[in-house]
Amino acid sequence: MRTELGILQDYIRLETGYEGEVTSDADLLRTHILDSFSIVQLAMFVQERFGIELEAEDLVRDNLSTLSRVIALIQKKKNTGLANSEPRM
Amino acid sequence: MPGSIFRFLCETAERLPQKIAITSKTRSVTFAELRDEALATAECFRELGVKPGDRVGICMEKTLDQISAILGVLFANAVLVPILPRLKRSNIRHIIENSEMAFLVTDSERLNEVAEFADITKLVTGHGELDEERPNLPYLRRFLQPRMLSDRIGADNAAIIYSSGSTGRPKGILISHRNLADGAEIVAEYLDTNESDRIGCVLSFNFDYGLNQIWQTLFKGATLCLHDLALPNDLFAFLAEESITALPVMPVIITKMFDRRLKLATDSYDFSHLRYVCSTGGRLSQDMLTDLKSTFPTAKIYSMFGLTEAFRSTYLDPTKIESHPTSIGKAIPDCQVLVLDENGNECAPHIIGELVHRGATVTKGYWRDPVNTAKVFRSHPSFPGETLVFSGDKVIRDEEGYLYFVARGDEMIKTKGFRVSPTEVEAEVVRHPDIGAAVAFAVPNIAIGEDVACAYTTINGQPLAETTLKQFLKSNLPNHMVPAYLIHFETFPITGNDGKLDRKAIKEGAFEQLGIERDKGVAISFGQGT
Repeated sequence: MRTELGILQDYIRLETGYEGEVTSDADLLRTHILDSFSIVQLAMFVQERFGIELEAEDLVRDNLSTLSRVIALIQKKKNTGLANSEPRM
Repeated sequence: MPGSIFRFLCETAERLPQKIAITSKTRSVTFAELRDEALATAECFRELGVKPGDRVGICMEKTLDQISAILGVLFANAVLVPILPRLKRSNIRHIIENSEMAFLVTDSERLNEVAEFADITKLVTGHGELDEERPNLPYLRRFLQPRMLSDRIGADNAAIIYSSGSTGRPKGILISHRNLADGAEIVAEYLDTNESDRIGCVLSFNFDYGLNQIWQTLFKGATLCLHDLALPNDLFAFLAEESITALPVMPVIITKMFDRRLKLATDSYDFSHLRYVCSTGGRLSQDMLTDLKSTFPTAKIYSMFGLTEAFRSTYLDPTKIESHPTSIGKAIPDCQVLVLDENGNECAPHIIGELVHRGATVTKGYWRDPVNTAKVFRSHPSFPGETLVFSGDKVIRDEEGYLYFVARGDEMIKTKGFRVSPTEVEAEVVRHPDIGAAVAFAVPNIAIGEDVACAYTTINGQPLAETTLKQFLKSNLPNHMVPAYLIHFETFPITGNDGKLDRKAIKEGAFEQLGIERDKGVAISFGQGT
């Protein structure tokens, strides 16, 4: 079973062509793995892949700057959204 | 006394020493502190061996330390050479060699972009941790006293800004101290820049438009607030929290701000502080204007136009944006804009001609490139003794004197604020072992200017999987240069007898395949640009 980290690392590798290792604490923007275009693509992917909906207050740099923060956001939304969302794979 | 960046800072520091000049997420400086820091940095450069006239590159993240480095270069009477982020390696090497760059200031974030060039220039860090291998400006500054400067005059070289051309390597546009100061004064005049302004700086300092935000701040004693644009909701929070009064942007930034795939927090804030938004570098669509007006109801909107060779040529009076939404306006103060036919005569209203710029902001030409300089920086019999900039851009003027952009004269692709050369894209595409030939061109996409498209043939006649080809290209090209559209042809049509590729026919064929009509600026869904 793939972890959220594995799924996100694969996504980044595929989307950006970045060949190095993307650690869970690497700042994706400061290291230029993502730019202001691809970070939005990542937010879109996360919503679709993990079946969550990101509100305006979720869509801030602090929540998406590292993969560990993205995972924390996913888990938070999954827990609060359990009653409402339909799982989408 | 004519203005200069140095005098702007010293006079403002004298008048408003305790006023905050620049803020970022991590620190702020007053005008007095900034002056002292800039002078100390100039002293560091001298200590490191920078001589007047030396070219010093800056390849740094946008920070206060970057601004200190920029000012330090100018105050050491050296020549500033910004290195844009994410440039191709070969272009960075070209810039360093072409300018004979004596020193290159970088930081830990950008070090891997430039570390390999230690053989052809001396690396210095301008920010962050002390590094055993390279001199570090923040560290050195602590040990050096700011010292009064040797004289520089307006005619001295201040900067070289490299800009991509359609053939060959990027050309360096040589800018004088006079150019910088005059540009700052002219823009402050029509934007009404004043001491109470808080300028929201989302632009980078790698080009003339971004740098001018620093000059405006020093000239008028405004406050410059740095922000790195990533997600729009952070920008909206910043605009409100910092009470931003002035927001210089480009069309691609406006598109990012109002990206409808994201839930936007615009209703949560009071933006009544914002007195203007200004934009240059591309067309403002009706959607962009509507979004700006509804989100920032109290802000004036300035649509502007210019080329780096002459900094800026036109602006539209904001009271005319409703009646003339697609106009680029009229000439900026102290400049004249001519619309000329092939014979150098003024065109009648509504006749398409070339935009030719005359006046204060004409720069010195291309660095060490008399051939290309002579093509663009030319004289005109009506203005003996003067040098005018022949932009190559096609415009029309209406009966009231309002100008409208029609088309670029060259083959360059303008995407996401970058100028991309089709030849460079083609060179990368044909590196793929299965590819035969390639022709790159622009597809209109008002959201970001244009998309890069590339038609290609393969050796075995079979199309390549798009993801495979894009992966291959992404490994060597910065994102903005990777084609959004890859169109396979079994064979390319050729022209006449000389066997040259018929680029026009190829483009038409590609547009047909893409299902887009050539002349319509179809807005394509945003995601495809990446």
